[in-house]
Amino acid sequence: MTPAPRAPDPDPKTLCDNCHAKPAEVKVTEVDKHGKSAPVNLCADCARERGVLAHDAAKATVAEILLELKDKVQDADRQLVCPGCHLTYADFKALGRLGCAECYTAFAERLLPLIKRIHGAAQHTGRAPRADGQTATQGFEIQRLRRELRAAIAAEDYEQAAAVRDRIRQAGGEDRDA
Amino acid sequence: MLDKTLGKWLDATGPNADIVISSRIRLARNLAGVNFPGRTLPADQELVIDRAEQALRGLSIYAPERFLRRKRLSEIQTGCLVERHLASLEFAAGKTSRALFVGPGETLSVMVNEEDHLRLQVLASGLDFNASLTELQSLDDALGAELGYAFSPQYGFLTACPTNLGTGMRASVLIHLPGLALTKEIEKILRGALQVGLAVRGLYGEGSETRGNLFQISNQVTLGKSEEEIIEVLGRIANEVVGFERKARAYLLEKLRLEIEDKVFRADAILRSARLLGSTEATNLLGVLRLGVTTGLIPGPGIKSINELMILCRPACLQDYYDRELPPRERDAVRAELVRAKLAIA
Repeated sequence: MTPAPRAPDPDPKTLCDNCHAKPAEVKVTEVDKHGKSAPVNLCADCARERGVLAHDAAKATVAEILLELKDKVQDADRQLVCPGCHLTYADFKALGRLGCAECYTAFAERLLPLIKRIHGAAQHTGRAPRADGQTATQGFEIQRLRRELRAAIAAEDYEQAAAVRDRIRQAGGEDRDA
Repeated sequence: MLDKTLGKWLDATGPNADIVISSRIRLARNLAGVNFPGRTLPADQELVIDRAEQALRGLSIYAPERFLRRKRLSEIQTGCLVERHLASLEFAAGKTSRALFVGPGETLSVMVNEEDHLRLQVLASGLDFNASLTELQSLDDALGAELGYAFSPQYGFLTACPTNLGTGMRASVLIHLPGLALTKEIEKILRGALQVGLAVRGLYGEGSETRGNLFQISNQVTLGKSEEEIIEVLGRIANEVVGFERKARAYLLEKLRLEIEDKVFRADAILRSARLLGSTEATNLLGVLRLGVTTGLIPGPGIKSINELMILCRPACLQDYYDRELPPRERDAVRAELVRAKLAIA
């Protein structure tokens, strides 16, 4: 059944051909599967239910059409759910924040254009996490000692500098700043 | 809570510290397998805090009194941490269980359960990113190896907001631009920064107002560029802005010396004499005094003292300093008293 637009408005006293309860507000031409067309008078609710109001109502304004389109997009957003945290894409649009790392996979198609728009890129080129905990912790401590060493040298406290250098050696780092 | 001594990054020892108060780098990180803080249950929030503390405990900078759980802090203390640039406005808001680790000297800090599980931060005096980037990255490596970060080869470090994706890195400079404000060139400069993809904000970041001619300039893009590239661009632009500010100051001293001197000495006189001093007024006057001191127009206090006063004069820090809740009028009186006392000895 393909509704086709047609004007003018039906007489206000005519009742809806579908529910026979409310006054008809929209007159549409419905085409059945045999290609036969017939005029149908519908109230606003029935018209909306059949999905014809926005396209067919003579009264439909641009705002109404946009509103309906927005409804449809929102429905799709609500149906797009992250399996990890059950956040919907609609939630994300309202909050501006994702719920978990998995959201990036679940909403991949929708997020990609957004990410490109924000960053002008879609491929990370920076650092990656370190896997080796012991080496990383040691690295942090050595780096801090090097800083202490620089401060001691800057303050011309050479006794302190020598002590810090020993600690760097003990921690397994070279004293390249000395 | 924290020492009364403010962060080392306020000591004005860094490069261009007469114009750039501080350089800050922040990394957003999340733990793999746990929902982001905005979508976790209270029990998981506590778990993330415990895990973060456990990971920090393995480092020599850890001390239990430096790990602050928000629920044990008063509103004033939390506000003071925000004003000291250790926590964000978002950290102070909402019901999520959050925590903050503050390293010695307040240069390194880690917020737990803000928008992301972890926000690692380093602050340095003046315009100086390189040493602090190394420091922050080694802390990041150590915590990441222990905690296991959410990371994707395509998108890098996964963050609650896609605007932080990739490096998760936001670098910023807190910059004092009275010269450009007085010569009315500030708009032009700040628009230029926007055009090259940087963001310009007020003293306390997003949504905060600009006072005392203090501005924050930061990178916007976090994905598709390396950490070093981001720092390089921001550093270069910040350096240019510093150059413009120097030129503006030189121009003002040459053409309008008396007017600037008048402004500076008036600010100094009010700060040394006022009996009631509002927060905004104090910041603005301290900004003018800072211009006077850094251009040698007035002997006055050191830059460090002015930097610190700008923080101490904020409402929460002021109340924390005096260890009690103060109504606004009393705050203005106490603020005036504190400024007079600090300037007398500075």
